[in-house]
Amino acid sequence: MKFPYIKEAVGSIFKNPVTEKYPFKKIETPEGFRGKIEFDETKCIGCGMCIKVCAASAITKTVENTEEGQKIGMEFNMGSCTFCSFCSDFCPKSAIHLSNEYSMIKTADENNMMVQGSFIKKLPSKPQMSAAKTGEKKE
Amino acid sequence: MLDKIIEKSRIKSPWIYHINAGSCNGCDIELIALLGPRFDVERFGVKLTGTPKHADIVFVTGPVTAQTKDRMLRVISQVPDPKVIVSLGSCPMSCNVFKGSYSVVGPLEKWVPVDVSIGGCAPKPEAIIDGLIKALDILKEKRGVK
Repeated sequence: MKFPYIKEAVGSIFKNPVTEKYPFKKIETPEGFRGKIEFDETKCIGCGMCIKVCAASAITKTVENTEEGQKIGMEFNMGSCTFCSFCSDFCPKSAIHLSNEYSMIKTADENNMMVQGSFIKKLPSKPQMSAAKTGEKKE
Repeated sequence: MLDKIIEKSRIKSPWIYHINAGSCNGCDIELIALLGPRFDVERFGVKLTGTPKHADIVFVTGPVTAQTKDRMLRVISQVPDPKVIVSLGSCPMSCNVFKGSYSVVGPLEKWVPVDVSIGGCAPKPEAIIDGLIKALDILKEKRGVK
C-alpha cells in the first residue's frame, strides 16, 4: 500500500499557517504598484494634459484670478480614479506620481479621497505702449 | 445577562452579503480572495452568507446599472437593521469610467446611505480588510455595544 502524500501531510503539521496577519503586520507593495496619486504642485505648469487623458474625468482644474497672477488649483478625486497612470505618463513636467499607498477609505468622519494642490502662475506683463511708437504707426 | 452575551458575541460574527450591481468582476475577485486561506477574514468572524436575511454587512460593487437598481434596492431592504453598507471600489462611489452612460444610474449614494467607501480599482485585499475593520466599528456603534 502506498501513501504518496504522507511526507507532505506530516511536514505540514510543523509549518506555520499561510495566512497573512494583515492588520497587525503591515505589508509591502510590489514594485511598480499604482496607488494613491501624489501631486507635486511646485512642478505643475497647469497645461491640462492630465485632464485630457483621464478616462474617468477624475481631475478638475480651477482657475482663479488674483493680483499676482492666476491661482490654479488641481484636484484629483481618488474615488473616481482607475489607476491607469496615464496622467503621470503624459505629464510633461512629471508632477504626478502614483505612490504605493493602497488604503483609501471614506467614512462619514474621514475622507482621504481627495488629493489637492494649488500654485500661482504668473502672467506675462502687458507690453508697454510708448507714445513714439503709436505715433509712428499713424504715419 | 444572557442577552448581553448574545449581543457581544453577535459583534464577533458579522456575516457579509455581496451584491454585484454591474461590476466588472475585479472587485468581486478581490473580495473572494479575503475569504480564502491567505487573508482569511474568518479571523474576525466574517463569513459570506447566501441570503441577505442573515447578513449584517452588505458589500456593493459596480456602478449601479439601470437593470440592477431595483433588484439591489430590494435585496438591501431585506437586510435586517442595524446594517452597514460598504461600497467596494471606485465604481459605486462615482461610476468611474462609466459615468454619463445611458445604462448607469448612479453613484450608490444616490439610492442608499453608504457607511464606508473603499477606494481603488480594484482595491487591494488589504485595503478591503482596513475598510472591513472600520465597518465593524460602525456596526458596534449602531448596535450600541461597548
